[in-house]
Amino acid sequence: MTSTTANRPADTTPAQGPALSIGGLLRRPEAGAFLGLLAVLLFFAAFGGLTFLKPAGMSSWLNVAANLGIIAIPVGLLMIAGELDISVGAMVPFGAMTVAVISGHYGLSIWLGIAVTMTFGVTVGLINGYMVIRTAVPSLIVTLGSLFAVQGIVLGLTVLITKSTSVALTVQGPAKAIFGDFLFGGQLQVMVLWWLALTAAYVFFVHLSPKGNWIFAMGGDKVSARNAGIPTDRMTILLFVLSSTSAAFIGMCQAILYNSAQVAGGQSFIFNSIISVVVGGVLLTGGFGSVVGIFFGTITFAIVNQGIYYTDFDRNWSALIIGVLLLLAVLMNNTFRKMALSATTKKKGA
Amino acid sequence: MKLANLTKVLATTALVALTATAAMAADIAVIGGSNDDAFWNKIKKGIDDARPAVEANGGTVNYLRLANYDNFAPDVVQLIRTAISMEVDGLVIPNWVPEAEDPAIKDAMAAGIKVILMNAGGADKARELGAINYIGNEEYPAGVAGGEYFAKAGKKNVLCVNTLPGAANTEARCKGVADAMGAAGVVSTQLPLPTTSFGDATAVAEAIKAELMKDETIDGVITISAGDADSAAIGVQQSGRADAVSLASFDLNEAGLARIKDGAQLFAIDQQPYLQGFLATSILASAIDFGTDLPTFPVLTGPGIVDASNIEATLAGVAKGAR
Repeated sequence: MTSTTANRPADTTPAQGPALSIGGLLRRPEAGAFLGLLAVLLFFAAFGGLTFLKPAGMSSWLNVAANLGIIAIPVGLLMIAGELDISVGAMVPFGAMTVAVISGHYGLSIWLGIAVTMTFGVTVGLINGYMVIRTAVPSLIVTLGSLFAVQGIVLGLTVLITKSTSVALTVQGPAKAIFGDFLFGGQLQVMVLWWLALTAAYVFFVHLSPKGNWIFAMGGDKVSARNAGIPTDRMTILLFVLSSTSAAFIGMCQAILYNSAQVAGGQSFIFNSIISVVVGGVLLTGGFGSVVGIFFGTITFAIVNQGIYYTDFDRNWSALIIGVLLLLAVLMNNTFRKMALSATTKKKGA
Repeated sequence: MKLANLTKVLATTALVALTATAAMAADIAVIGGSNDDAFWNKIKKGIDDARPAVEANGGTVNYLRLANYDNFAPDVVQLIRTAISMEVDGLVIPNWVPEAEDPAIKDAMAAGIKVILMNAGGADKARELGAINYIGNEEYPAGVAGGEYFAKAGKKNVLCVNTLPGAANTEARCKGVADAMGAAGVVSTQLPLPTTSFGDATAVAEAIKAELMKDETIDGVITISAGDADSAAIGVQQSGRADAVSLASFDLNEAGLARIKDGAQLFAIDQQPYLQGFLATSILASAIDFGTDLPTFPVLTGPGIVDASNIEATLAGVAKGAR
């Protein structure tokens, strides 16, 4: 959010800009996303009343944003790098079921369940990444394949092992406090802390460490990036590992929080994460975007998705309102980005 | 030539079947879902428990199961054909895919086989085909039972959380709740959740929390599936109104039964699959062997209510694979 050297996509202005000026801030990729966030916040503050902004109301969308955001950032980084991962939709129930079967059905240590879940997450990510770099098949299709394959594995193995499609899990002690509880017995999920910490780590990795620029270069032009000496293969695999492990992590934490795992579900995370990323200002074509933008985009999505319950609108219209507001947020973001970027060019040209 | 052969086979089948009926020992085929399917294992338990009674009268029970659901409609039809070729006296069959199954079921009847529809199909279909009964569940009465339970518990405003709005069965469940509560002079409204929330436990929980905080008159929540009730339990708790708001669900799962035991959930509505297998097999055998004719049509195995009063017995049933 604040002043640091911005990652400029290859095809826009080369200016590093004066670090602290208002214009510099407004030209950052996340500025448009922030405006979209403000707009929907004001919309629901107006129609949803004060409850929406009270701690209980705020936690309502922050919790949803945290669950989604932990998946949306790595998905967004993949999109910036020109790839897509839709297998996250299967990794959420996969993560939930793995921990529930190991620590719930078999009653083994929760820490073992967590370790195995994370290992599975990394494994699927490695397979996804390796398939994408080894075959010329687009990542959308590769991960579509792994989406179905993992769904099949979850259903097949769960029923084989437990003879059921819903497995109960009771976790107590530190594991519950760390992965699936509410902070200080209040309204905020511990997931919110994970989300903030992970976002900070991603900001450092993408925008402050030298390797971050590689992701943008890959999305701009993969061949040139490889020719410039960027280890694009290793980077691609790393990003796929991050996204599938994050999704398995969310599934696992939800199972610990809700004391139960189902084989179905999780597919909404596919679209919801892509929507959050795009609302956050990442271009579908890759090469442009920012972690903070995705962070704002995720909050925007969560507000739109949950805000409706604080209004008096007929609930049958929820999906319509969600669709229209999200489209408006993206349009606003796009228009603003164009204005901001062309303003720079004009100044330089003048 | 082939056709002539087939006709001959069918004619022989019919003849043998009629002879078998006259011998008064019911040979029954029951067609059901895969062994991997937890729900169908409860139905199978019912069939297995009914078998000794049929065998005591000289009959047999043959459970023909689908190996998997990959080639569903053709596989089901094939099983019906198999039952016909086995020259059974009676057939218990779920009417999952009417378009595909109906011609085969009619052929079975033409061969003199008595048919009971079980689990899927409904009373109207059973009448249309000429089956002797339908034994299974209907969604609307299940909803009505839920609404009546809430009303009796003194609840005035119940939220029916529908994570699959627009689907015929879930709409019927919520409508049943609303109609029954309306008849008791109180209300139940449906909360249709958009597809963006489906499968995200946190989104479902937070939606329910928000509704409970917004409308303080809501004193009951019912979800269309057992999994959604796991999310709803946290939503109710987070709303800070767990003392006033009672939770219920359609269908059962392990976590839900644990909540009923602990008092964190009021009740669950079960379609009692065990009874479908048990009753279908024994009613059909009795009709063939002794000519009994049950006046109850259809025979509904649900709704069965699981609450604090019968949770121990239900858990015992779970342990034995019947619930």
